[in-house]
Amino acid sequence: MSDWVLRAAAPSQSPSQSPSQSQSQSGSQSQSQSQSPGPLQSPPDIPLTAAPTPPRIPLPRGPRQLAVRHETRYDYDRPVEVAHHSAWLRPRDTEVQQVQRWALKIEPQPDDAVQASQDVFGNWRHGFSHARVHDTLTVTSVFQVQLAAPPPLDAALSPPWEEAAQALRYRAGVTQPDAVEFVLASHFAPCDARLAAFAQDLFTPQRPLLQAALALMSRIYQRMEFNSQATDVATNALQALEKGQGVCQDFAHLMIGAMRSLGLAARYVSGYLLTEPPAGQPRLIGADATHAWVEVWCPLYGWVALDPTNDIAVGQDHVTLAWGRDYADVAPLRGVIRGGGTAPPEVGVTVEPV
Amino acid sequence: MPEPPRKGHDADMQSSWLADDDLPDAASQVAAATRRATPGHFDEWRSLTASAAALAGSSAGNTPAAHWRQFFTSLGTAGWSDMAARADRVQQRVREDGATYNVYAEGGDASRPWPLELLPFIVQPAEWAAIELGVVQRARLMAATLTDIYGAQTLLRDALLPASLVFAHPHYLRPAHGLWPALATPLHIAAFDLARKPDGGFCVLAQRLQAPSGLGYLLENRLIIGRQFSDEFASLRAQRLAATFRSLLDGLMRASPAGAHSRVVLLTPGPFNETYFEQVFLARYLGVTLVEGSDLTVRGKRLFLKSLHGLEPVHVVLRRVDDEFLDPLELRPDSQLGVPGLLQALRAGEVVMANAPGAGVLESPGLTAFWPGVAERLLGERLRLPASTSWWCGEAAVWASQRAKLADFVVAPTFPGSGFKPCVAAHLPEAERAALLARIDAQPAAFTLQARVRPGETPVWRDGSLQPRAAVLRVFALADGAGGWRVLPGALTRVAGRPSAHPGSAFDPWLSMQNGSASVDTWVITRGEVDETSMLPKPLTAGELSSWQRSVSSRAAEALFWLGRYTERAENAIRLTRLTLESLHGGSKPVLHLLGELAHFHGLVDSAVPSPARAPRLFERALVHGLPASDDASRYVTSVGDSLRCLRQCAQVLRERLSPEHWKLINEVDDHFEQHLANVLGDGKAGSDMPARGEGEAADVLGVLARSATHLAAITGAQTDRMMRDDGWRLLSVGRQVERLAMLSHALALGFEHRLHESDDGFLLLLGLFDSVITYRARFQARREALPLLHLLVMDTDNPRSLAWVARTMRDRLRKLARDDAPWVASVTDPLSMPESWPLADLARADDDGRHSALIYALQQCNAAARSLSDEVGRHLFAHVDSPDRTVWQ
Repeated sequence: MSDWVLRAAAPSQSPSQSPSQSQSQSGSQSQSQSQSPGPLQSPPDIPLTAAPTPPRIPLPRGPRQLAVRHETRYDYDRPVEVAHHSAWLRPRDTEVQQVQRWALKIEPQPDDAVQASQDVFGNWRHGFSHARVHDTLTVTSVFQVQLAAPPPLDAALSPPWEEAAQALRYRAGVTQPDAVEFVLASHFAPCDARLAAFAQDLFTPQRPLLQAALALMSRIYQRMEFNSQATDVATNALQALEKGQGVCQDFAHLMIGAMRSLGLAARYVSGYLLTEPPAGQPRLIGADATHAWVEVWCPLYGWVALDPTNDIAVGQDHVTLAWGRDYADVAPLRGVIRGGGTAPPEVGVTVEPV
Repeated sequence: MPEPPRKGHDADMQSSWLADDDLPDAASQVAAATRRATPGHFDEWRSLTASAAALAGSSAGNTPAAHWRQFFTSLGTAGWSDMAARADRVQQRVREDGATYNVYAEGGDASRPWPLELLPFIVQPAEWAAIELGVVQRARLMAATLTDIYGAQTLLRDALLPASLVFAHPHYLRPAHGLWPALATPLHIAAFDLARKPDGGFCVLAQRLQAPSGLGYLLENRLIIGRQFSDEFASLRAQRLAATFRSLLDGLMRASPAGAHSRVVLLTPGPFNETYFEQVFLARYLGVTLVEGSDLTVRGKRLFLKSLHGLEPVHVVLRRVDDEFLDPLELRPDSQLGVPGLLQALRAGEVVMANAPGAGVLESPGLTAFWPGVAERLLGERLRLPASTSWWCGEAAVWASQRAKLADFVVAPTFPGSGFKPCVAAHLPEAERAALLARIDAQPAAFTLQARVRPGETPVWRDGSLQPRAAVLRVFALADGAGGWRVLPGALTRVAGRPSAHPGSAFDPWLSMQNGSASVDTWVITRGEVDETSMLPKPLTAGELSSWQRSVSSRAAEALFWLGRYTERAENAIRLTRLTLESLHGGSKPVLHLLGELAHFHGLVDSAVPSPARAPRLFERALVHGLPASDDASRYVTSVGDSLRCLRQCAQVLRERLSPEHWKLINEVDDHFEQHLANVLGDGKAGSDMPARGEGEAADVLGVLARSATHLAAITGAQTDRMMRDDGWRLLSVGRQVERLAMLSHALALGFEHRLHESDDGFLLLLGLFDSVITYRARFQARREALPLLHLLVMDTDNPRSLAWVARTMRDRLRKLARDDAPWVASVTDPLSMPESWPLADLARADDDGRHSALIYALQQCNAAARSLSDEVGRHLFAHVDSPDRTVWQ
């Protein structure tokens, strides 16, 4: 493993997860409001992502075109009188990704034009509100995306991890990289001695940063069990580590928290993954899931994307939606409503090659 | 008058009798009674630095600075001997104004009278000019830094500010990026805590930028102290405050999309906030509406006030809610103090907020040492006002060099919310200091070292003498809306509660009000004109005046409605309890049955308690011991005490609308009832285990009830005679009538069901329940007939207790209240009975079996209509203010 050359298009090892498509997207999400104080404590309690099935077919070398449809539907028990929502649903353009024909459909029609703005990380944010009584809300994001193959990177060439940590420390008058923000603890990916201990032995003195990061990704993949019932969207990295189980969001938070606890910068990426139906079966519409992975900051290569849920470097099957410190910065849809009772959202995602 | 001190009787209290005999009498008398400032501190009284040498010799005397000499010369010897009385008057005014400060540590209802000293702090013109320049410069610096941090972030990239300090601060709000237009200022009110250094210059200790408190208290201090020393205020030419407030409001309106027609509100966290009093005070002074988050709503991207007459646009928000709580959609999702969607409205430029969210991050003491570099970069200027020395431990080289000198510093948390309280390292025992070192080693970025400060000492009056107390000034810079700043010529000055020499008290540079400091008024002497601007807005035109009305927020409307209901409910429950206790022994069966049913129905006794017709003593005990308020929510009793407590809670919400007498009466009736009842019942709530004291106890309880009834009558008086008869008052009245109509129609129906009109004591009881005994006797003497009874209790529109009067009043009030919405008024008032048009002769006639079934049916209909009207008023006018918003995430 130590001299594994990171190539975005490299096929990954066969995953141990079953290709089952059965993870429920709606689950038992409760919308009951949390009374507990503290920031970001009130998300509903189901996994929002399911285990994606990793790619099995060799990837094409040229650009790849994918079509994505992401629908979220609330069927409220009781009528909602007033609702305000913010959506992080428009994918951003990146060096390897070009978004085309994106459209957001909201049913019922919001009161005012949807307000588009960019957040501090450059992600798209859309705000809309309803002040007329309604029983259901459906938000659908549809787009196509062109993905280029990421440039190949040689993990062995990345600088020693201690050097990266040093570059992120404050010294008076020395220019600071933007990545500094992603060394600091956040709600879901805190800094903690237990998280550091989980990764410490992989970060041997002078080991190239990306080699150590790849090893950490593999460790998470090997030690953590994928289980969509074990955790919910309020689970942080430490809790996921203690359980030894979780979904892609937890895998990502664990990796981010471990990196930060060692003084390194890592960020959370939300997006989608192209999945292949089992051989002989048709592609099920809506059976895919939203996905999440990690980007690690390297002084040489910049941000390098790794997917600990599948133990692969991110390639042309991953569609980037938004990035932030952790899930809380980029939750696809959040809202404050008056009325409504309890209503678990139903989420359907379809990613198809065009 | 204090005895002139004998020379040498107190080493501290230098007699200046001989040295300063050229002083005018009053000033020299005062000087003789003035203690010297602590060596090493600046002495405001003499306007020089106190030194140990001066203390040893008496040659320098205790000559006051010119402004203090002028102050006491103006006051004269008579004034000096009157100081004790003035101090009392100050305390009395504080109490009368209801000026309080809520102390969190004590939990619950821990509001304390606002601590205010008699003597002002006086700043001379040249000193003030330096403060003014320095504070304006700092305000500009803060605004420019905010714009950079929430924009291009060049300060962070170029390491002029450590990114790890700013980004890790919980008040660095990522949603605040791009929240205000490029040229607008995010900052309108900036507060700086200043202390006088031993060398006489001022330095900055701290800054408050997100929602600075103190402006209201500052005004209260000025109003009270300015009145005590009005001659001295004028003769010293102390500057007035109004023009600067005026310029702030004008500036905010200029920045607002609605310009001069902007609706301005002050957003408060509510009555439990530590500084609620001053928020009420400030809102009144500025003439803006005081609102809570639940009063506001965002529709589309605009902000509105929910009022009795629908949604009214709001354009400017002065806010006292902290950053993180402003919008549960984008900030803390558990916040109940904010307005969902508020940030969207700000982003859309529809609302101006003072201050914009995000400023809290600049309050961190860790940033102190970085300001000179930032000022150089952003303003190209050197800082005029220095800050007290401060080191952020997050910079490895800094912590390494200061680590050994920990004992020289005050250790403060870099970030709020860590639970770590600032502490003087030198005062810590060895073991604790070692533990602190280890803690800082583990998390250096979380700690900041601050040099200990020796704030200047200003004289305060204590029992005939003047004593020096360390003072910290909170000075406010207010934006003028045209890119400039004005410094409010005054300050909220806090003085230490104890002398500086007192162990442990001298070096709390924060002098926080939570820790027992007091405040003093602050006079800024001007060489120029005293500004006579008043906060009174420009005169209204006749046209504006005719349509002028105070808008009533839906939350206030609901509280007013319930204030009415609970006042009436408490009166009814007391009357019912008194009548019951008086009739229990010797009452006829029907009377006892009725009283039992009414007590059960109104929740005065538990439903399991048997009827008084069967067990009068048991019933009496249950009734008496059910009177106090209970915290047991599972108990199925709504006692008199509960109603009084609810009444008080409603009043709390409405504090800014109630007269001081009204407010006081409501608090008193609750307090007195609880206290007196506890005295009478012995151990009060544990009473059910005690042996019954029988009729003696009941008689005492009757006394308590009678007093409370008198109190409630006074409250009713305040409500009918001391309140503006605006829409809010109409709603209060509707609340009272709803409660009265429901209670009386039910009682009368039940009374006729039990045929109370057929017995003497029953007949009397019915009149008693309607509080109409005296009227009936005066009109009909000893007649005991159903017809005159019903006429008085149902038809007579001159009797304010008759059903007809109550129903008619309610209809009238609702018509005026919702005058713009006639269809709705019709829909709620039409189902209401019109008892004055009932066929009385028919209703007074009994059926063959002796029942008055037609009457009973009519009364039941009337009762049902009253109840459903209450529900409809709630739905239509209060807009579900009780159902909280919830946050949902996908």
